[in-house]
Formats: sequence, structure tokens, C-alpha cells
Amino acid sequence: MQTTLSDSLRSTPLGQEADSILRACVHCGFCAATCPTYGLLGDELDSPRGRIYLIKQMLEGATAGQNTQLHLDRCLACRACETTCPSGVRYGRLLDIGRAAIEQRVRRPLPEQIKRHLLRVVIPYERRFTVVLRVAQTLRAFLPPTWRRSIPPPQLPTSWPRSSHERKMLALAGCVQTPIAPNIDAATARVLDCLGISLVRASGGGCCGALSYHLGAQEDGLEFARRNIDAWWPHVESGAEAIAINASGCGVMVKEYGHLLREDPSYAERADRISAMAMDISEVLAKENRAALAPAGIGTARIAFHSPCSLQHGQKLAGLVESILESAGFELTPVPDGHLCCGSAGSYSLLQPELSRQLLLQRVLALESGQPTAIGTANIGCLAHLQSRTSVPVRHWIELLDPGASVVSLRDEGAQVELTEPTTL
Amino acid sequence: MTDTNDSADQLREQVRVAAHSGVPLQISGGGSKSFYGRATVGTPLSTIAHRGIVTYDPGELVITARAGTPLTQIEAALAEKNQMLAFEPPYLGESATLGGAIATGLSGPRRPYVGAARDFVLGVKLINGQAEILSFGGQVMKNVAGYDVARLMVGALGTLGVLLEISLKVLPRPATELTLVQHRTPNEAIEVMNIWARRPLPLSACCYDGDGLYVRLCGADSAVRAAHDKIGGEILTNAQNFWHALREQFHAFFDGPLPLWRVAVPPARPSLRIPGKWLIDWGGAQRWLKSDTDAATICRTAAEGGGHATLFRGGDRGGYIFHPLAPGLLALHQRIKNAMDPQHIFNPGKMYPNL
Amino acid sequence: MGAIMIYCPNSPPGKTIMKTPVTNVQPRNRRELIAALQRVLPSQALLSETEDLRPYECDGLSAYCELPMLVALPDTVEQVRAVLVACHERGVPVVARGAGTGLSGGALPCSNGVLLSLAKFNRILEIDAANRTARVQPGVRNLAISQAVAHLGLYYAPDPSSQIACSIGGNVAENAGGVHCLKYGLTVHNIQMLSFLTIEGELITVGGAALDAPGYDLLAFMTGSEGLLGVIVEITVKLLPQPERAQVVLAAFDDVEKAGAAVAAIIGAGIVPAGLEMMDNLAIRAAEQFVHAGYPVDAEAILLCELDGVNEEVSEQILQVREIFQQCGATESHTARDERERALFWAGRKAAFPAVGRLAPDYYCMDGTIPRKHLARVLRRIGEMSAEAGLAVANVFHAGDGNLHPLILYDANKPGDLERTERLGAKILELCVAVGGTITGEHGVGVEKINQMCIQFSASALAQFHALKHAFDPRGLLNPGKAVPTLQRCAEYGAMHVHGGKVLFPDLERF
Repeated sequence: MQTTLSDSLRSTPLGQEADSILRACVHCGFCAATCPTYGLLGDELDSPRGRIYLIKQMLEGATAGQNTQLHLDRCLACRACETTCPSGVRYGRLLDIGRAAIEQRVRRPLPEQIKRHLLRVVIPYERRFTVVLRVAQTLRAFLPPTWRRSIPPPQLPTSWPRSSHERKMLALAGCVQTPIAPNIDAATARVLDCLGISLVRASGGGCCGALSYHLGAQEDGLEFARRNIDAWWPHVESGAEAIAINASGCGVMVKEYGHLLREDPSYAERADRISAMAMDISEVLAKENRAALAPAGIGTARIAFHSPCSLQHGQKLAGLVESILESAGFELTPVPDGHLCCGSAGSYSLLQPELSRQLLLQRVLALESGQPTAIGTANIGCLAHLQSRTSVPVRHWIELLDPGASVVSLRDEGAQVELTEPTTL
Repeated sequence: MTDTNDSADQLREQVRVAAHSGVPLQISGGGSKSFYGRATVGTPLSTIAHRGIVTYDPGELVITARAGTPLTQIEAALAEKNQMLAFEPPYLGESATLGGAIATGLSGPRRPYVGAARDFVLGVKLINGQAEILSFGGQVMKNVAGYDVARLMVGALGTLGVLLEISLKVLPRPATELTLVQHRTPNEAIEVMNIWARRPLPLSACCYDGDGLYVRLCGADSAVRAAHDKIGGEILTNAQNFWHALREQFHAFFDGPLPLWRVAVPPARPSLRIPGKWLIDWGGAQRWLKSDTDAATICRTAAEGGGHATLFRGGDRGGYIFHPLAPGLLALHQRIKNAMDPQHIFNPGKMYPNL
Repeated sequence: MGAIMIYCPNSPPGKTIMKTPVTNVQPRNRRELIAALQRVLPSQALLSETEDLRPYECDGLSAYCELPMLVALPDTVEQVRAVLVACHERGVPVVARGAGTGLSGGALPCSNGVLLSLAKFNRILEIDAANRTARVQPGVRNLAISQAVAHLGLYYAPDPSSQIACSIGGNVAENAGGVHCLKYGLTVHNIQMLSFLTIEGELITVGGAALDAPGYDLLAFMTGSEGLLGVIVEITVKLLPQPERAQVVLAAFDDVEKAGAAVAAIIGAGIVPAGLEMMDNLAIRAAEQFVHAGYPVDAEAILLCELDGVNEEVSEQILQVREIFQQCGATESHTARDERERALFWAGRKAAFPAVGRLAPDYYCMDGTIPRKHLARVLRRIGEMSAEAGLAVANVFHAGDGNLHPLILYDANKPGDLERTERLGAKILELCVAVGGTITGEHGVGVEKINQMCIQFSASALAQFHALKHAFDPRGLLNPGKAVPTLQRCAEYGAMHVHGGKVLFPDLERF
């Protein structure tokens, strides 16, 4: 497409990047077909192509106000459009640039600012989030059912393996995953332990930074990135072979550290190295001989796998987890429109509750359509979001491979979810 | 292809005179289907002298011929190159011309599986009501430039213009054809025909004459044999005669003085309750009825069945012939007629009164 | 004779041959129209701020842009009717739009008109398995129909390359084709009933649940009418049984002409492939970068020949086709190993247009159809013209039916590039007409090829088109300025292009 960005903008690295992305777009409209919000709303402005146009006109100096902000806010950043795009448009990157630009141009109403600020100062900090979560869990029983459903019940932590192997991989400390589902990291450690690898938690790390970065607070996001790099670096130097990430939303962010910090002289090189070492846990497993893994409860288990957007579109790892589960002996049920987002999308479920709810209902129907015993996924956000709407237990798929767990026991937890509204659209 | 003659100028002159005087024209070709439609009056205008194949390029799968060209001549030329008019135009008389086949828009037994006359029309040259010679469409497989006037002419019964030349898509003849017969009740036959149509079978005709269910398969020898194994049934000898008799209405069903109705319904529709004799063609989509039941009842029953009824032959040619159009649609027809033939000189009343 | 009475005041860039400002909508009236539409539409369904209108300024042909006065996003037929009535009463042009993937600018808005998006009409209303039809709303995506009936063993045959995104309503408006229309026909061959609203708001149904409806074949006439006659609100499509087997043979050639000869040889052998597609080297490389289908990137041309039907017949024909390829000098030919590879072969072909976006920032897609026998000659001439113009051309085409899609690569940011591209495009189309073909096989005339209509049709044929348009839309409010040029426009275009009695391509035989 033709672009007429101002010379001053075009002389900045960000402007050049935006220009090159915009010019790769040929306006064919294929992207709209797989866009969850366009599917719901049917408005070009809520499609990737429309948003690209909104960003383009803003960068070209036209008026961009609350409407542009609204439509950019409605984007899930699921990047299904990138998978569909034949022209190779890096939409997700353009969206970040566009969101940062609109944030500077349009002041949000005060309540909205407060809400976003609260999200940014609570969610990425494990301790703060834990406090909020525990209070909510305590009050859970007294809340109306609709609220109750969205608060995950407490989960007891399980133990990490004691043995230490020569081969080491690094874990991401993360933010919300440990308070909500401590078993995921433990199960990951146990699975890697079976394969002769020790999973190491580096002290000083934390949130990957994605939440802040995609909420328009890009500098905050980069600060989180730098903290993680600092925490991991000594281990990298002493021979850790990979960063094994079991939350695909974080994985996609860590893999972008190199690009995002390329203008930061003191971090660029290390960030690049970290990104190169970052692997989704499925990538790790795919490379290992998995014969030693003997997951319990197979045979009876029919799994519906919800591939998180950050896994299939962000990291382009569509089909990998499915093939690992199948080779482990699980039966996978068909999931219609498996490219669609569940509506969790970072803070989206909190900021766009109505659209998020519609997408969730669609996804749960699709996932349940094959009558699975359990639903597997690869990102904590999707996990908690899906579980809020289904009585089928939702687990991180690595837990299904955990030699210490049984799929049957998963049922108990699912049963705790009270569904008062029928799951229909 | 020596039998060619271009009389476009004479035809045009005749149209010019008629447009000037306002005296309507009664257009005819070989006269084989002049019974079809409503009775009309007017000065005869015959396209029979405007004849001959203009171009035929087997490699392009396209033939262009003048309206007065006998269908026999066209089909002979195609057969020589192992090709065919896939919609199997009914002649309904030896003198049938290409122009008549297109103006009536009738199709034979293959229609539900490969398409109707209109589906094979690529372009036409015609004379409009202002005596202008115009070309629409073309001689290539795909052409979406301008409105599809060429297909608008198909089945318009000459009420919109005088066809001069028609370009048609032709197809290679299948390597093998095989007809099978099974004995079924009418509703069973309808059901079975539609089950077959939902499966990937090489069907090219499917008809039930009240006694036997006839199914024609076509394609490569191996494909036809494989389909025979799946469908079952006795092989009909002399099959070509059977399908020819059906298409040309020589089949015994068509005998007798009762009016002949053509009832078109969604193919899977079970038998309609109209007294008379039925023959089910086109895999259930076209049903012939010999009956003296009143037109209103037949029309209503067909409509209730999701279709429409035509008084094909016999009966009162000045009364109900074609299914009535909704008022808005009829008004649109009249405006289209005015656009093509402002003086109403072409076959007025042939399709509907005031059209 | 009813000529179009209202024109878009601003023709697209490069096409500024005539401007007929008939803007009868003043700002005050605009406010009044907005108020009227607000009464009949939900609040989010009417866009009027420039910020919101801008992304609607073009369809899949982004070279031509025009900001609409308003955008309406109704989601019921009653709302569509109310919008049409309101516009008709006020003499406001209406441009209907589906998914906006068209490549001829058919949904280019009018600056003094309402852009009527039908994208919210995305529901499949009924699937009738026994009668093999589906009743759908116009905004349903082409591919969504086949996906919805796949479990019944059925599918909807026409498959334009944009089938993942394009809407069925747009397909009908343009009479869309696709890679399989050689055997299965265009949209017109695969629909059975249409309901549309006239500009006056009258609902008309043409065709029917039964074959060969009474009266004129308005089903065919509406198909491909590019939104100039009515606004389609419901469509009944035909469904076909999925073939028992489909197999694709890929052949590579070191010479485009040899590939052209192979196409003729296959048709000549009496084979009707389900699809027969050609791509030249530039297109092959672009598509390969996106899908990694294993296309031979150093070949001058590849042919994809799909054979489908009964298992035994497909096996026989594959052998025949491979032999023909060999005889015609293919450097390699192989059959897709499995369904995955077959899908991949097609994915590359279907994504070829936008994938060309990887080679150059912009492309301009032509759509001429020619008699197959002239394929090699026309390709050679396109190559020469491309060199003369200094603009690369990637060729992707439906070789089986002679439908060419030369993609002219250019850079819209370079001054003058678009104009040179348009001139080259015009010459390519005029070449197609000169060899007995047409300027558009399946994309529609839209605004892009409007001048070339003057070359393909006589003045009296164009006048006849206008008279027919008048029968549907006497005030000329539906999609004005598209598909059929005014005689005045043609006169001016002719004056520009034929100098001193010189005709284009004097060396070519005329038909």
C-alpha cells in the first residue's frame, strides 16, 4: 500500500519499521477472515486490515481520536491474522507501535486510566497479585456465581524434583502463574527431570513484561525484560542450555526481547542471546527422546487441545503440542475453528469483558464439542479463562505428561466449577 | 459446412420496419417448438435462412453458429470431433434450430448434472427492438464484462430480441455411457435418485417412468464400471434410444390427448398429489404430468411443493401457460422488455400477456 | 435512453477523464441524512467521522480511494431496506460492499454516497442436504459454506483465490470464478436463488428452489451485475458432492510457451481437469516464500493440473496427463504425495496474489481472458510490453479457461509509477480484446477496467446496458460510475487512445 508518513517520522527507527510493515500490506483482506473480533462485529474497523488503516492514517498525521483508540483496544493481539497473511505483514508489531502512538495522542477517561494503572501495578508483580488473589479466593464463597466463576479455586503447590542433572534449563519466574497454578512449574520440572534435565529458577526474575508492553506502557515492559535478562545471565554464562517457558504468552515476549531492546546498547547483545535461547516447553520436548515419559491415565483420556494464540500465531508452533500429546498416546478430539482466540488475551478479559465473554462461549462450545475428558492448553491466561466457563478440567498440557499426576484426578477440580448459566451463545 | 448464409441485414431491415410501424413480429426458426408458450399473432419473421457454423474450434471447446443453423448440423459437426452439446437440447421436431433451442432454453436429461442451455451460452449477437445489431458476452470461457445479456436471452422466447448468433461452450463426449434399470415405487425412486446425487457418482441422467428407474452413468470405462458396482441394476440395451425417446417425447408416456405439464420442484420433494400420469426426470427436479386437472390446482400444488408448473403442450394456449410472477417481479420484467424492445414488436404475449 | 444520471464526482487517480459533479448532497442535507439513518440503524451501525470512514475508502484494489460520505452497517434486511429508501428519497448514491476483497474497485465508495456494508450478514440460514442447497446471507464467506457442509460430504464449488475471506454476496455481484471453474463453472452456474432489494426498497426474489424458474433468467442477469441493479440480501447456493478423489499433478517447464502448449494438449485430449493453473517464475518464487509448497523456484513456469472424480478415472487421467506433460517437454512432473501436499500446492496458488506483495510494495492485477490458443503469443507480448514499460509482471493464471492474471509490480510511493502501471494494464487488456478475448474473466469491470469497456463494446451495446440499468434503477443511484462507462467517457477515452486513425495492435488479426 501507498504510505505518506511524514519525513520526521520516517527518519526514526520506529517510523521506518512502521512504514515497512505498512508497505508490505497489499490490502487483500484475507486477514479479516480469521480475525475473532471481525467475526463478531463485522466492521472493517474491527478487522486487522481496518486497524492497519487506522494506524496508517494516524502515522500519516490525520486526526486519530477515541474511535481509533476504541478499535485498537478491541484487538486481542492474537495475531491469527499474521498466520493468514500471505504478504508477511508483521501486524502484532505494528499494533504495538500504533497503540503507543494513540496513547500519546488520546487521553483516556480517568476511571479507565485508573483501571489500566491498577492492572499494571498488580498483575505483573507476583506478591501483589498473590495478595489480591488470596483475598478473592477467601471471599469466593460469598460472591455471586458470575463473579465466583472467574476466580480460580486455590491450588496447593506440589514438590519439585530434588535430583540435580548436568543439563540445566532456566525457568521464567513469571507473575500470575505460580499463585494460580503452582503445579504447572512443578510438573514441568518433573517432566524435564524424567528427561535428565534440571529446571532452574533464577532469583530476581519476574514478569516477562508482556502485559505492560501491550497495555501501552512499553518502557515498563522493557524494564521487566531487563530484570529477567539480569537474573538469567549468570546461569547462561555458566552453561544453561535454554530458557524453557511453559506460558506461551510469556514465551512469545521473551523471544522478542532481542528485537525490542535492539536500540539499548547495554542490553541489545544479551537480549538477542536470551531470545535465541528461549523455547516453548513443547519445542524442548520435541527435541528430546520422550520414551522415559510414561504419563498416567492415558487410554481413557480424550483431550481437546486449545492452542493459545501466542503459541500458534505468536510463536508459529501450531500442531507441535498436539503431535507430542498424540505420540504420548492421548486421543485428541477435533476442535472446530482452532485458530480462534478464547478471549483471555492478557488483560483483554478485564478490559473488554463483553467481547471476551462472547469469544469464551464460542471457544468452550468448540472445545466441548468432541466430548473430551480434559482440555489441555499452554498458557495460564487461557487456562484460567476457559476453566471459568467449563466443567471439563482445563490443564496445562505438560501436566498431562507429568509422571506424578493422573488424569482421572483432574475431574475433581473441574467439578468445583459451578455453572449456573448454560454454556450457549 | 457449406450450408451457410448470412441474412442478418434482411432480418434487421424487417425489424426496422416493424419498429417503425409498430406491427408485431412472430419470430420462428424451424418451427419445431412453435407450440411452446402462449399463442401470438404478428408478421412472421423467420431466422431459418440465417444459418451456418461461423467458427468451431474444438481445442477451445467453443462453437459459434447462426440462429437458423439446424441443430442436426451442429451436433454432426461436434460429433466429428468427439464433442457434444452437453445440455442435450430437445429438438421436438427435425427442423429444430439453434436459435429455437436457445430462445426456449429447454434442456435434456443431462441438465441436472452438467447444466442447462443457459449455462453453456457464452455470448450472443442479436437485433434489439431498435433494429441495432449488438454483441454480448464472447467466445471465451469466462467473461464478466457488462451485464449478462447473453444469458438473459436464453428462454426469453424471443420477446427481447432476435438472436443472430450464439456462442456455446461444448464438452468432450464421455468415453463410455451405461444405463441401468431398477424397479422401484415412485417415492423410493425419488429418494434413491437424490441419495445418488449426494454421492460422487458419474451420473448423467436419472429418470423414473412409473415402472423403471433409469440411471445413466458416463465417463471413463473404469469409472462407469465402478459406479455400476455401487449402484446395481440391470444394464439397459438400446439405452440411446431410451434417452432419445425421453428427450424427444416419443416415450409412450407422452402419448394421448391430455395436456402435458412440466412441473419443476426441488428434486427430493416426494410425489405431488395431483391426479394424472407422472414421469419423473432430472433426478426428481423435473416432473412431467399428463392430466386434465385445472391449471389453478396444478399451479398451486407445484408452488406449495416449492416449485412451478408450465403447461407445456396442449390445453388452452391463450390461458395459463407459465407460472405467474410476483407483482414486483412482473413489473421488473416489463421494464426489461421496454429496455430491449420499446415498441413491443418481438413475440408480444408469448411468455406472459403484456410482455 | 436512460443514461446513468448521477456520477461520483471524483474519479479515481489516473482515471480522471471526466468529472461530472452532481453532488446534490450539501452539508446541511448530510446532517439530515445522518439523522434519518440514525432513526433506522443501531447507534454503532452508522459511521460518519472521517477517522472511521477512512478504512472504508477502498476495497482490495487500494490504488483507488474515495472517502464515502457515510458508512452503514445494517444487520437486518429491514435496516437495509430503510437505508435504501432513505437514500432513494434523497437522491443519494449507494455502494454495496461485502468483504471488500474485490480487485476491480467494485466497492470503491462515492464521496457523496453511502457505503452499505453487508459484512454483518454472516449467517448460514439453512442447509438442505437432500436437495443439495444452502440458503445463506450475503456476508457469509465463500469458504465458510464449504466448511459448514463438509460433514455432509458436500461443498460449494466456485473457489476464488480469496475464498477464505471473500463474501458470497460479492461473489454473486462479480460472478466470481476460481481455480475450479473450468469444470464446475462460475458463480452463475452454482447458485439457484437470489433475493435482492431494489433501490426503491422492493424485495425481489429470482430463481427458485426448483430449476429453471419461470420468466426471464434474472438470476443470471443479476449475477455479475456489480451492485448496479440491486442489493443482494439472500442467496441459495448449489452444493455438490465432494469428489471421491482429487489429485494434483505439478509440472515444471523451462519455457512458458511449452507450458502453454501442454495446456492445449490436455484439453485437446478430451480431459476436463478440475483445475489447470499456470504460474510463472516470479509468481512461483513469491508463493513459495509464503507456503513452502516445494515449488521448483528455478522453473520458468509451473502447471498445476487437478483431476477429480471417481477413483479409477482419476488414476487413468493422471497417467494421461503426466504423459502429455512429458511429451510437451516438462523438466519435472510429480503427483502430490498426499492430501496435505495437495492442499499445499493449492495454498501456494491461492495466496499467489498477496504473496507477490513480498516482491514489491504494490501490485495491479489484470483479469483478461483469451482463447487458449493465443496463450503463448499473448504471454510473449506481455513480456515485451513489461520490458518496454520497465515494470515487472508476475503471471498467475487459470490456464484451462484462458483467464490471465498478470500482476504488474510497482511502488505506489514512487511518483508516476501508478500511472505507468495503469497504461501497461490498459495495453494488456486491449491486447486480450484484440485476440478475441475479454477484459475481465471473473474480477468484474468495477472502476479499474471501465475505459476498456469502450474498446470491448460498441456504443449501441453500451447504450443497451444503460437502458437495462434504467429498468432496475432509474435514478442511477446504485454503484454509480462502475462497470458500464458513459458514452461521453468512451468518446473522450477513444480520442485519447486512437491517434490519426491508428489502432492498437495493428499486427493482430481482428475478430
